[in-house]
Formats: sequence, C-alpha cells, structure tokens
Amino acid sequence: MRLALFVTCLVDLMRPEVGFASLRLLEGAGCDVVVPPGQTCCGQPAFGAGNRVLATDLARQAIAQLEDYEYVVIPSGSCTDQIRNVYPQLLADDPIWAARAQALAARSYELSCFLVEVLKLEQVPGALAGSVTYHDSCKGLRGLGIKAQPRNLLASMRGMTLSEMPDCEECCGFGGAFAVRFGEVSTAIVDRKCESIAAAGADAVVGADLGCLLNIEGRLRRRGDQRTQVLHLAEVLAGTLPK
Amino acid sequence: MSAAGHSQAMFFQARATAQVRNKDLQKALEKAKPLFVGKRAKGIAALADDGLDFAQLRAACTEIRRRVVDDLDVWLEIFEERARASGAEVLWARDGDEICRHVIDIARRNGVSKAVKSKSMLSEEAQLNEALSAAGIEPVETDLGEYIVQLAGETPSHIIAPAVHKTLAEVEALFAERHGRALQERTSVDIPLLTAEARAVLRQHFLSAEMGISGANFLIAESGSAALVTNEGNGRMVTTLPKVHVVITGIEKIVPTLEDFATLMRLLPRSATGQSISNYVSLLTGTRGVDETEGPEKTVFILVDNGRAALAGSDFADMLRCIRCGACMNHCPVYFSLGGHAYGWVYPGPMGAVLTPLYTGIENALDLPHASTGCNQCGAVCPVNIPLPSLMHRLREIQNERALRPLSERIALRAWGWLAQHPGMYRWLTRRVARYLRWLADDSGRIRVLGLAPGWTAGRDLPAPPGKTFHELYAARKRA
Repeated sequence: MRLALFVTCLVDLMRPEVGFASLRLLEGAGCDVVVPPGQTCCGQPAFGAGNRVLATDLARQAIAQLEDYEYVVIPSGSCTDQIRNVYPQLLADDPIWAARAQALAARSYELSCFLVEVLKLEQVPGALAGSVTYHDSCKGLRGLGIKAQPRNLLASMRGMTLSEMPDCEECCGFGGAFAVRFGEVSTAIVDRKCESIAAAGADAVVGADLGCLLNIEGRLRRRGDQRTQVLHLAEVLAGTLPK
Repeated sequence: MSAAGHSQAMFFQARATAQVRNKDLQKALEKAKPLFVGKRAKGIAALADDGLDFAQLRAACTEIRRRVVDDLDVWLEIFEERARASGAEVLWARDGDEICRHVIDIARRNGVSKAVKSKSMLSEEAQLNEALSAAGIEPVETDLGEYIVQLAGETPSHIIAPAVHKTLAEVEALFAERHGRALQERTSVDIPLLTAEARAVLRQHFLSAEMGISGANFLIAESGSAALVTNEGNGRMVTTLPKVHVVITGIEKIVPTLEDFATLMRLLPRSATGQSISNYVSLLTGTRGVDETEGPEKTVFILVDNGRAALAGSDFADMLRCIRCGACMNHCPVYFSLGGHAYGWVYPGPMGAVLTPLYTGIENALDLPHASTGCNQCGAVCPVNIPLPSLMHRLREIQNERALRPLSERIALRAWGWLAQHPGMYRWLTRRVARYLRWLADDSGRIRVLGLAPGWTAGRDLPAPPGKTFHELYAARKRA
C-alpha cells in the first residue's frame, strides 16, 4: 500500500529521528512510503492564533499535497487532529474543497492508530529493557480517542514494563504559542506533569506529540532530572533510540 | 458602572504571573484540585448505580438547554406570566446598573436597611454590594465562602467555591481580626469551629435583615418558580426569613418544565461537587399565602440581560446553555495554576475566557481567549456539551478580523505563513534555524536561553535539534 508520511514541522526541525523511526516502522511493515515534497506545516499555529484565512490556505496546500495517497500517516496527535477534525470544519462552506477535506480526513491517521487499526501490527522492531510511562497528549486523547493503541504496541515489546503515571490524561501545558505567550503558567502546568512522571518512577516517559515532549524534557532537565529519558513513541517502537 | 468598567481582564498577563508566584494561593489550589476532580469523577461514575448513563443524560440536558436558548423570548414570556400569577413581581434589567437601581428602589420602598444574600454571580456582575453600601443599605453575604470573601474585601475566585483561593491560616487570621478575638493555632479538624463562628454571626443578620437577595440556578417556566441548589442552608434562610425576597438571574436560566429541571439536576450537583443531589433543593414560587406561616411577603424577580440576549442566535449561542456547575474550571490546568482572580472579572476559567470578552467587550479582554492550552479537558466534562475551546478559537478569530492583535504578532504570523506556503524558502530557512539552534546548545544538548522565545526558556530548557532537518537528511538518504 502506498502511503504518504507527513513528518510535521516540529519533527522536521527539532527531532528528525522521529521521522526516520516512522519510516522504519512503516516500511518494515511492508508499506510503500512516500514523503511528499513541499510539505511544511499543517497550519495549527495559524489556526491557534485565530488566523482562519491563513489556516485555511495551509489546509488547502496540505490537502493538495497529500490527497493522492491511499493513506496519510502522521507521527503527531495534534497535527492529525488538525487534518481530521479541523480541515473539514475550515472548508465546510467551500463547495469544492469541503469534499476533498473530508476525503483526506478519513484517510489520515496518527502513527500508532495506523499501526494498530489499519496494519493490525502485533510485533514491532524495537526492544526496550526497562520501564516507561505514557503521557496522553490532549488532541490525540480527546480529539482522536487515542488511548489503547500506543499502550498495546508498547505492551507487545519484550522487556518493557508500562508504569502508568497519576493523571496521565492531564495536559502538559504546552499548547503551542501558549507555552511562549504564558511561559510561567505553562511552566507551572508542566511542573505538575513532571511530578506525575516522577511518581511513576519509570526510566522513560513516552508520548506521541513532539511539542509535549520538548516541553516535558525541557522542564525535567531544568528541574535537574537528567535521568528520565523523554522519547517519542515512534523511536521506541522502531528501536531507534537516541543515545 | 458598565460591565467593562470593573473588569481587570486586560491585565491578565501580569495578574497571571503574580498568581503563579503566590505561594499561599498555590497551596490552596493544590489542595482543592484533586477534591474537585476526584469528587466529580466519583459522582459521574455513580450514575451507573442508578442505571443512568452519562452520555445519554448529557445529551438530554444539552437538548433541554438548547430548546430554551432557541426560543428564549417565548419561554421568558411564559415564565413572567406564571410568576406574576403566583404573586411575584417580575422586573427586567438591561445591565448591572439597572439591577442596582431596581434593588435599591425595592429596598427603599420597603424600608430595608440590611439585605442578606445567598450566592449570586449576577450581583457580582452588577457590583451590587458596592451599590447597596453606597445607598446606605448593608449587604451581608451568607454563603460561607462569600462571607469570607466579603470580610476580606475581595471577590469570589470560583463560581461555586468563592474562597477556594484562601488557606485555613488566612481564614483564621481574617476571622480573628474581624470577629475581634485572639488568633489561634488551627488545623483542618478545627474547620467546623470556624464554620460555627461564622454561623453565630450570620444568625443575627438572618433575623434582622428585611430583605433577602438570591440568585437562582434555574427558572421554571411552567410554574413560575426559582430553583435554588445549595449545600449550606443559608439559601433557605435568605429566601424565607426576610419580608422581601429578590431573585436576580440571567434571562438564560429558564427551563421549560419541572421534569426538565429534574433531568438537569441529575448532572448539575454531580458535575459541580460530585453529589448525587445537593443538601438543599428549593423551589420558590410566589409569596407567602394567607394561611401560610413562612416565606416572604413580597417576591421580586429581576431578569437580567447584561449581554446575554446578544448571544442568542450568534456564534456564541452555545454558551447560553451553561448551568454554572464550575466543572470547566475544576478541570482546567490554567485555572488551577492561577486561581480565579487573574481572569479579572466575575467568571474565571474556561467559561470566563469566553464570557468575559463577550460581556465586557472583546477588546477589553484580549488575553483571555488565548489563556488556554486547547486541551479540551473543560469541553470533555461540560454537562451541557459547550465546545469551550472552539468558542475561544472563534473569539481569537474575531480579534484577528478586527485587527486587535499586536502588530508584531500579526507580522510574525504573516511572515511565517508566507514561508509555509513557499516550501523552497521554508526549507532554506529551517536548515539555517536548525544549525543556529544546534549552535546555541551547550555540551549536554540543551538550550538554556532563547532570545526569540524567552517565555519558553524562563522555566525550561529547549532540547536542541541535531542540526540537520528531516527533509535535508531524507534528501541525502535518497541520493545515497
């Protein structure tokens, strides 16, 4: 099956390994993966800032780039939420684009959802000796209903134990521009997340949204925790862990 | 005073920062949060014991409220007619000023020098206590939290727990000072003693006040009644002991029938405090009958617009369904980092982030719709399915449409948007940014100060990227 990988702007800039880990997982499962050229950003920052015109332009751009593939896979819950839930809403009144937005939405999957729901993957290449705790990011959880998928995949890995943190469904305080605009408030929120993570006592915290992970890792390190690894689900599943 | 006049919402950024740093407040909030969240979760889970289903009830409650909001004028007319038929007076108020004028007028005509109050957020919208005091009428708050807040000269920081921002030590100090007694060492087991102390003071006020002022959780159209959902019993005293009872409510508080009210009561207390039902549920209809020994001789409803009517039929009509349970703020990570006062006006948390701009002017509360991580923990618990994050988004869009955002932000967004639509330039720039960020990092791969986003690095490091972008590496891999 021929599918498009939408790597997301954050992965492109901040953690390209997540993109390669996604490629490894998908290609390993026998998919023909294309990274459509010209992809930039799904438009969330514009949508979040209230610039509907720009968000809609970027939605059209992404739809045009991605709609020719059987599936689109995205290693991020929030970008997937943007494509699945926001694009159809932004373009609902556009006689031509509304149907295209809906068609793309129906074929776009967050990585772990795609692995579980479409590929029905039961084995992943990665191996991890140790314990991890999973952070449910908001858009994935409440926007897309992602809860069991990543946990099932993690549970399939040998040597790994999942140690749930208290309040794993609580927001980490990232929120895109929110983290910069209201830096101290955001820090107070991520502080609570860091305490939850500490309570889980795991070797690593794993999540599926790079924004949350950068926020969590940045705060853990500033608080003096140099030990807890902060990993993207794709890296863990693919076995391409950073040193 | 106009609604915008007493709003401090324009100073949200500064107030929020101050509150994040306020240790006493943080202590109080840390204690309250698990209680609110845990109790609601238990209350909702317990629906199953009664063979009830949250999703179904929520849909039913949403539908009841939607039906009212869709035909608000019709339901209001029915309510007015039935309330009058039961002996109550019905007055209308366009705004806070008009509420104050009505109440003072009623007080003067009935020789009132003291008014006892049960919780009413509408009276906060009107700043009624200040107006009453200025008119020589003493207002006494009788809800324990409101009483504390009034003694302290503050405003409520939560719609159902007005003094949630106060620690036990602060309340003890306040009571000692204001009740004229020595300060004592208190622990949480002493809370009933403090409650009894307030109770003794309030009892005198209940017996001497000539007027009771309350809000209403709902107005029942078919019976012309006010429904009051309370836990402390003060509501009963306020609404039955004084000779005059004034009910101040928003025009959106109508429900068509008593049965609808019963349905909403399945979710209101559970969403608010986790209780299957509150300690007191009162249905107040008309005045004291000729053969009755209790109740006010005069009942006056003041039905308030103050910005509500304009929401009907607008993009924000969903907000009129709100039943003021407080679940949105109880589940909000931002609210629980700041408390309610930072929001600057009557309603805090996600509901406030929507209502304050709508009721006091979008241009007077520019930060509030942005004061959200978009986590939708509020929307997920709302018993009447209000899409709070979407409404905040819509307000952000209106800010953009009216060019109310700062110029620097608009320029930055426009530049970024142009780049995102020109992939060649975008790649060229991101390659350079990736290298720059790598260069900024220390030996352990962390960026400690980022001039472009000081808000990020004030409290966090930024994990540095490896220095080459995905697209750059991918192109190289394909060439190889």
